[in-house]
Amino acid sequence: MPSNTIVERVVADLRKYPPFDELAPDILQGLAESVSLTYHEEGEIIFHKGDSLRDHAFMVMKGAVRLFDSVEDKEVLVDLCDEGDIFGVRAIFSKHDYVLTAQVAEESLLFELPVDRIRHLLETDPRFSLFFAGAFAKSVEEIEHTLTEALDPGLSRFREQSYMTFLENETLEVKPVTSVVTCSPDILIREAAKIMSDKGIGSIIVVSPERHPLGIVTDTDLTKKVVSVPGSVKEQPVSTIMSSPVYTISGGKTIADMVMLMVKTKLRHFCITEDGSAQSPITGIISEHDIIISEGNNPAVIMKAVMQASGPDQLKEQRDKAESLLQVYIEQDVAMHFISNIVTEINDAIITRAIDFSLQELDDDGSVQRPEIGFCWLSLGSEGRKEQLLRTDQDNAILYEDPPPDVAEQVHEYFLALGKKVTGMLQHCGFVRCPADIMASNPVWCQPVSAWKRYFSKWIVTPEPKAVMHSTIFFDFRPVYGQTELGAELKQEIFSLISKNRGFLGFFAKNALQNPPPLGFFRNFLVEKSRDHANEFDIKARAMMPLCDAARVLTYELTVPEYLSTAERFKRLEKLVPGMQDLGTEAAAAYEFLMRLRAVNGLANGNSGRYIKPETLNKLERQTLRNVFSTIEKVQKMLNLRFQLDYIRD
Amino acid sequence: MIRFILHKNAERRCKRGELPSGICGYIRCFDDSHLLSRPLDEVRFVVFDTETTGFDTSNDVVISIGAVALDGFKINVNDSFEVLIRRDSVGDSEAVTTHGLLLKDLHEGAEEKDALNGFLAYTGDGVLVAQHADYDVAMINRMLRKRYGFDLFNQVIDTASLAKRLEKGPYYNLAHKSGEYRLDTLLERYGIRLYDRHTAAGDAYLTAQLFQMLLMKAEKSGIKTLRDLLLK
Repeated sequence: MPSNTIVERVVADLRKYPPFDELAPDILQGLAESVSLTYHEEGEIIFHKGDSLRDHAFMVMKGAVRLFDSVEDKEVLVDLCDEGDIFGVRAIFSKHDYVLTAQVAEESLLFELPVDRIRHLLETDPRFSLFFAGAFAKSVEEIEHTLTEALDPGLSRFREQSYMTFLENETLEVKPVTSVVTCSPDILIREAAKIMSDKGIGSIIVVSPERHPLGIVTDTDLTKKVVSVPGSVKEQPVSTIMSSPVYTISGGKTIADMVMLMVKTKLRHFCITEDGSAQSPITGIISEHDIIISEGNNPAVIMKAVMQASGPDQLKEQRDKAESLLQVYIEQDVAMHFISNIVTEINDAIITRAIDFSLQELDDDGSVQRPEIGFCWLSLGSEGRKEQLLRTDQDNAILYEDPPPDVAEQVHEYFLALGKKVTGMLQHCGFVRCPADIMASNPVWCQPVSAWKRYFSKWIVTPEPKAVMHSTIFFDFRPVYGQTELGAELKQEIFSLISKNRGFLGFFAKNALQNPPPLGFFRNFLVEKSRDHANEFDIKARAMMPLCDAARVLTYELTVPEYLSTAERFKRLEKLVPGMQDLGTEAAAAYEFLMRLRAVNGLANGNSGRYIKPETLNKLERQTLRNVFSTIEKVQKMLNLRFQLDYIRD
Repeated sequence: MIRFILHKNAERRCKRGELPSGICGYIRCFDDSHLLSRPLDEVRFVVFDTETTGFDTSNDVVISIGAVALDGFKINVNDSFEVLIRRDSVGDSEAVTTHGLLLKDLHEGAEEKDALNGFLAYTGDGVLVAQHADYDVAMINRMLRKRYGFDLFNQVIDTASLAKRLEKGPYYNLAHKSGEYRLDTLLERYGIRLYDRHTAAGDAYLTAQLFQMLLMKAEKSGIKTLRDLLLK
């Protein structure tokens, strides 16, 4: 029997690092009993490229080990391992020789982990195998364990966990009211009102003889459409005032589902029917009240307050609330697409309200005349991609119908005044002004459709690397307010321009390849292939932009008309591009991981979260980032191949 | 030579059935006449430590032994040993504060006879290594002598002396600055993380890490065989 004290000591050392931190105590103990401890001096070679595999993998307990490949006598650094890193895992998965050389970079203590033990754990412990599948995809070519495999079950674990703790009860099924009070469409308004007041209820569902829901009459309908209207409307049938059609859903919805639905539809009542459609009998009803009564600070409440705000100050207050909500969601590991949807809906509502207020103020002011010209407010960049979690710079523009030439100037003046008011209000709400002045308040970016088409035409027909780089933000435009057809028209024009100028896509793609991903982290440095090390990690430029740029190029190439987020784009591309099945999901998961990491960092530091100090990353985050980097590399390779970029010169 | 005679003597007693078979197993395993000429990576070292009721080798007694082996320059966690010995006293308060063992802990310990047999079976002909080894060896020998009338037959290495020899050369006078070669000081100097000090097994594990580094250093400075290491 080995010494308990010593085994416990080794257990304590192993448990500091993933994946051992997740192992059950007895299993970890068994592993600890089987390890050996070795000491190595600086410069010592642990194994050479081409050496046959050992019967153990290595874990750095103290010191550092560098792994490199030798190509034509030149050393190519592949990885630097520090405390807690595991290397030499080829021995676990492969039968062939080592493909890299491991050399001690600083005097090191290594644990040798017997391969048969690890193999056994891989078979019996799913979390353990998950770690190895993800963490070592890079060093084990035969087994293409991809990030998808590593992250997917991980994400679903996140999700389960998150919904469990997400404001405690969000996973609970919303219990609909099943004793729904209904009436036929022919009864008089007066009769319906009497039923409602007798039963003490706020709404009544109008149903067909088969109990299919036709419409709903609420307190508000009675106030607005009956009481305030002169004349004897009360003697008319309810069908004349009911809101119709009703929004029908199937049963079994959770609070989280319902909150999302309320935020999206801005409706307050939902009918549950047998099959979820309006052509089946009603079985219950869920009202806003049922959902909101259960909690205080939720997105629906914020949304409602935004919609009912009487001025910009309240908008700011609600946006601040949204930020604390974001913090809760992030802490609870709520699924990223859920968070970004909610925050985008709230941001959009704030923009919408700011535009409402501004239009009103301009009308009241009267110094500029509101023209009879339709317009569309565009969000650009990250907000256009529905990815702005934290309040970073505002990037926006106004697109309006081509006015008759004689009034062109006044029209421009009006929309510019609108742009200035709205951007000012958004600034008041905490959205900083764009340093590059890409805002609707800038005359250049407040233009009629024809001018916008000219802009895009210039970018697409005579592309020039620098201009392409600066124009990417515009290609992510998304209509938020006003005549969305104008946005659609612009998008079609862009597709048509691109189809006639295929060369542009090459430039666009080349732009997406400007930044090769780093290798990973070593202590407090970001390790680059070029051997330059940085002690700050620009998550936007080095990881998010390469993915986001790639997704944009492909969605434009494949003329996807919807306004999608980067993750949504990748998921869509997966269906459109043969051979991108797994890479799409992988890239989407990677991007969402990066968004989360950036938000966490931003919330912790009260800034945009763009620059991350490597020392604040834990081991698992570092390992996941390393996987993300290899995903970026794959995406870039694919892009390179697709557009044959090796032939394009800068 | 004396050791040789004593060993022969002990073997004879075994043949006559005067010693228990477990003990005889220990005595018989010292049959490798080439042990001293083996290269360092082919020697099994047993790094050990004892906790005692005090520091008087003639009155105090061992209350626990911990050990871990180093073989081919590797510390094998699986090849380790730990035992508590049942005693009626844990020593004076000073000793208790050092080893942290209370009487009730010792009640769960093994009989001294079984503990000793276990340790000998585990050690075999391994080269014993300890920090200030003379003391720990003397404590074990006192038990052995009382019960069986012989001392340990193993080769012994003292890590403090080895460190001194590698750092300063073999003729440096250790007595002048003893503080420099205390275990804590050595561990700190060699960058070994401290934890859990003053349990026999915990100290043995730390000493093993120190010895591992010293052994590499020794090999680099031309000490190739066990004979070189033992200065024999």
